[in-house]
Amino acid sequence: MNIAARPRRTLVGAGIAVALIIPALLSPFDQDEAALAAITAMLVVSVVVLSGYVGQISFCQFSFAAIGAFTTGALVDGQGWSFWLAMPVGVVAAAAVGVLVGIPALRLTGLLLSVLTVAVALFFDRFVLATDTLPAFSGGSLQWHPHKPSLFGVQLTGEYGFYLFTFAMFLLVVLLVWNLRSGKAGRVLRAVRDSELAAATMGLNVTAWKLAAFGLSAGIAGLAGCLLAVANESVSAGSYDFLHSVQLLAIATVWGVGVLTAAALGGAFFVYGPELLAKTPLSAKWFSLILGAVLVAQLVYSPDGIIPKVAEDIRHALHRRRGDASMPPADAPVVEVA
Amino acid sequence: MHVLGGLSLIPTFTVSGLALGGVYALAATGLVLIYRVSGVLNFAHGAVAMFATFVAYQVSQVMGLPVLLGLLAAVVTGAVLGFCIEYFTIRPLMGRSPLTKVAVTIGWLLVLQTLAGLIWGDTSYHGAIRVVPQGGFKVPGIDLIIGYDRLTIFVVAMSLSLGIAALLRYTTLGAAMRAVADNPATARLWGINVNRVTAVSWMLGSAVAAVAGVLITPLINFDTYSLTIIVIDAFTAALIGRLVSLPMTLVGAVLLGCAQEWPTAFTSNGGFAQVSTFALVLIALAVLYRPSVGGAKLRTRVA
Repeated sequence: MNIAARPRRTLVGAGIAVALIIPALLSPFDQDEAALAAITAMLVVSVVVLSGYVGQISFCQFSFAAIGAFTTGALVDGQGWSFWLAMPVGVVAAAAVGVLVGIPALRLTGLLLSVLTVAVALFFDRFVLATDTLPAFSGGSLQWHPHKPSLFGVQLTGEYGFYLFTFAMFLLVVLLVWNLRSGKAGRVLRAVRDSELAAATMGLNVTAWKLAAFGLSAGIAGLAGCLLAVANESVSAGSYDFLHSVQLLAIATVWGVGVLTAAALGGAFFVYGPELLAKTPLSAKWFSLILGAVLVAQLVYSPDGIIPKVAEDIRHALHRRRGDASMPPADAPVVEVA
Repeated sequence: MHVLGGLSLIPTFTVSGLALGGVYALAATGLVLIYRVSGVLNFAHGAVAMFATFVAYQVSQVMGLPVLLGLLAAVVTGAVLGFCIEYFTIRPLMGRSPLTKVAVTIGWLLVLQTLAGLIWGDTSYHGAIRVVPQGGFKVPGIDLIIGYDRLTIFVVAMSLSLGIAALLRYTTLGAAMRAVADNPATARLWGINVNRVTAVSWMLGSAVAAVAGVLITPLINFDTYSLTIIVIDAFTAALIGRLVSLPMTLVGAVLLGCAQEWPTAFTSNGGFAQVSTFALVLIALAVLYRPSVGGAKLRTRVA
């Protein structure tokens, strides 16, 4: 039995309780922000799947999200569909494009593939989502304004209700990814990340698994996009550009790209960070400057990310106090936390 | 009718495309130089060029000093930024995975992009830095006017790129750079100061990017975002050169510049330039890289 399992379960339970209770006490505006944080956390999970589990850097996660968001906008606002029908379409479309983007992985190493994802991001940002390219998809100059859906006859227009819905979706996504990770898929993906050559020698179809990871990651990002569309009740190309994807990547890396726990905190940080800055003499615009500086400093001093670093420190502090000889020494390789 | 009208504009747009291609060649040369010598794919290359260009803007447009002084300020800024990135944040990561080093350049991209936005504004219009005054001459025989600025941009950019290729091939410093690119450990055994050569390649590559940034301002939207993303144009040209061959990189850059300008003859949708870039990236990746286990292997020869 894993010694760390019980405290971890308590921590996760406490985290969920906090995430349910605190927003209930906040103002409606902050509840809206909490919903955005839950959605952003989903986007961070999509980065964790790709970068943490397969070792692939993607600069186009917000392009996948845009597919979900604009599909929702076009179907709900443009065609009058129900959100519940539009959402699966958006997720499937995003996942399909994700697999397409991953196909060059058949031939390329990670670095060159990440160059391709920059090209994909700018292709979407500057062409596909441009107002005069595909008005039926991008909504043209008027933009889409999809309304929040109702669930079993209950309108999710209340801020706290909608937050609960997005948080539930986030938990579902985390559960799905966590299950995959602890099963065969997780072992295969880690093998692929650590050495493609070794994984291929073991008879694993590296390409198929990589494509599956791309599809899953893009699907999660697409789902986040669908929710983002109704959370903001508007869809505009500027919110899904290359720089947003860069920021997302930076946040996921700072909080620890291999760790699911990092996602929730990363999401909250992404949404509340700029707001907290706005209350200081600096403005919200400083957020990505500080984010970039933290990213550089952290990579130079503690390359595994904040969460694994802190978890490691705590474990070692506990270990020293208990004098438990079964714990690994300080210089042992970092053990996965989540 | 429309298409025919568009066709007659092709020579004009080819002139712009060549100028654009020259600038991309310059940016890509810096990128390849840095990649070959230090093994880092520098995603902040465009951001460095952008920041240096805005320093030139500050000197020449805001403070009203001569344009050439602005260009000089940009070159110095580029070199200093290149040195800082290498010395303070890449060198301590020696021996770490290439992905970690890429992540560092992503951090720099965010820092420089946001800082420039805070200082000079994100969206507002900035007057282009014109190293050469506007005006041009008519080509006898056909209906085509070649702007002096476009001609100068092309000539300056191309000669600088070729100059760097020559430096790599014919000088001692160039030989040292190629030695470090091929095998840092062996280069060190031969008495080459690997750290210094790496730092010089970052400074040179970034200074060249700064020149590219200043030259490109009359050709594109002069704002922080548009300049930062010329990194993808540099990547595209570099990919056509397989990230090693400078001559092929120049060919790729000119091809890219023209491919971005030609659609403008037929459509008012500026997004088609990005379609050309995307198509060229795909073609370069599909045609030029041979598959092998675990992905493509790059050859390890310089220029």
